[in-house]
Amino acid sequence: MSAAASIDRDPATQVRVVGALAERALRVQFRRAQFLIPSFLLPLVLLAVIASGTSSARHLPGFPSTGAYIGFVVGGTLMQGALLAGITAGIALAVDIEGGFFDRLLSAPVHRVSIVLGRVLAGGALGACQATLFLAVAFLFGARYQGGVPGVAFAIFLTALTAAGMSALAASIALRTGSLSLLQNLFPIVFVLLFTAPAFFPRDLLNGTMRSISEYNPLTYIVEAIRAALHDDTALGSPLNGVIAASALLAGATAIAVWAMRARLRAE
Amino acid sequence: MTSAAYAFSLSRAMWQRSLLEIARVRGALLPTTVAPMIFLLGTTGQFGKLADLSGFPTTSYLAWILPLSCLQGAGFAGGAAGANLARDIEQGWFDRLLTSPAPRPLLLAGPVLAAMTRAAVPTTVILTTGLVLGSGLSGGIVGLVMLYVAAVWFCMIASLWGSFMALRAGTQQVGPLIQNGVFLAVFLSTAYTPLGLLGGWLGALAPYNPVTYVLQMARQATVVGIEPSWAHTWPGLLSLTGMTLFFGAIALRQLSRLGR
Repeated sequence: MSAAASIDRDPATQVRVVGALAERALRVQFRRAQFLIPSFLLPLVLLAVIASGTSSARHLPGFPSTGAYIGFVVGGTLMQGALLAGITAGIALAVDIEGGFFDRLLSAPVHRVSIVLGRVLAGGALGACQATLFLAVAFLFGARYQGGVPGVAFAIFLTALTAAGMSALAASIALRTGSLSLLQNLFPIVFVLLFTAPAFFPRDLLNGTMRSISEYNPLTYIVEAIRAALHDDTALGSPLNGVIAASALLAGATAIAVWAMRARLRAE
Repeated sequence: MTSAAYAFSLSRAMWQRSLLEIARVRGALLPTTVAPMIFLLGTTGQFGKLADLSGFPTTSYLAWILPLSCLQGAGFAGGAAGANLARDIEQGWFDRLLTSPAPRPLLLAGPVLAAMTRAAVPTTVILTTGLVLGSGLSGGIVGLVMLYVAAVWFCMIASLWGSFMALRAGTQQVGPLIQNGVFLAVFLSTAYTPLGLLGGWLGALAPYNPVTYVLQMARQATVVGIEPSWAHTWPGLLSLTGMTLFFGAIALRQLSRLGR
C-alpha cells in the first residue's frame, strides 16, 4: 500500500488533524518568544508613535470624526499585526523545514493540504490574539468603539482572516524556498503593503499616487471595513467589501500555498 | 613607529577590514538603504497632507521627512556595525584581537570609522531619491553639509550604541535590539511633525530627546522654514557631542570589562 493511499481521507479526521497542527504551531510560536516579540511589540510602538506624532491630522479638512485619534489609527495597527503574524507563521514553517520536523510530518499519514491549513489556522488565531490585545490597549489609551461588541468582534474576525491569508502567502514562500533567512528579510514588505493602503490616514487624504495604488491593495478595503465596524459608520468603509477582500486574499493565498506544497513534494 | 602612527595604522587596518564586508557580502548595504527608502515613500504618501496644517514650516512633506530618512539609514548602518561586532565576538575573531598588543579602544575605532564611511551610501541614495521626487535643496551647500555631518555623526553614535550592546550580549541575537534602539531614538522625536504640532506624551517627550535637535540640524538642507543658521545648528552639535560622550563611555567601559 502506498503512503498516499494510507492517508485517512475522512473529513472529520482531517479537521482534527488541522486543529492539532494549528495548536502545535501556536504552542511552538509562543514558546519561541523571540519570534513573537516583533509581531506584538512593533505594532504597539508604531501605534503609540503615530497616534501621538500625527494627531494634529484631526484638524485637516475632510478628516473623519472618530473621537480620539487613536481610535482611527488602531485599524492600521490591526493590519500591521496581521501582516507580521503572517510573516511569523512563515518563519516558523521555515524553521520546521530547516530543522527536519516538516519531513517527519510528510512521512505521517496526514493529508498534505491539512499541513498547510493547520499553519493557516494558527496564523489566523495569532492574528485574533493580536487584534484583541491591540484593541484593548487602544481602548485603555482613549479609543472608543461606537460599534460596540459586534463591531469589535467583526474587527477581530477580519484581522484573523487577513492574518490567515498572509500566513498562507508566507507559508508558500517558505515551502518554495525553505529559507529561513529569506523569510526574515521579508519584514520590509510588511511596510510596503501597509503604506500602500490607507492604514493610518483616510484614503481621500492620501497623496494622488498613493491613492491610486491603494485601490489595488486588498488591505485598503479591509482596514476601511474595520474602521466602519469599530465606529459604526459606513461612511468610513464597506464591511461587505472588507469581507470579500479578506476572503479573496485567504482563498487565493491558500491555493498558492497548496500549489507550493505540491511543487515541493514533486521536487523531492 | 611613534604611538600615534601605530594607532593610525592599526585603526586604518581595522577600518579596511570592516569595509571589506561591503565587497564580500552582496547586499550588505541593502537593508540599511531599503527600509528607510520604503519609509520615505510610504510616509510621504500616507501623511503628506500634514504639511497643509498651519504651523508646519514647509509645504512639502517630502522635504520634511527626507532628512529623517537619511538619518535613519545612517543610524541603521551604525547599528549594523554593532551586529557585525557581535558576530566577530561569537565566532571568536574578537578574542584573537583582544590577545594582540593593540590598545583596546583602537579595536572599536576601526569598525566605527567603517560604519561612518558606509553611512554615506544610504544617506546619498536616499537624498538623491528625495531630490529626484521633488524635494528642494533649500539650504544649499551649507544645508547639505549640515545634513551629512548630522547623518555621519549620528551613525557613529549608533555604532557606539551597537558596540556597547554587542560587547554586553556577545551574541548576534542582539541585532534586532540594536536596530530597535535606533528606530525608537529617531521616532520619539519630531519625526512626523514639528514640536508645536506634536500632541500627547510625545509632545512632552520630544523636547528632551537629543535626536530632535540633530533632526533640526539636518533639516536645514531641505526645509524652507528651517534655514541654515547657527541657531539651528548648535543644539544639534551639542546633542551629538553629548550622545557621543555618553555612548562612547559606556562602550569603552564594556570593552574594558571584557575577558576580565
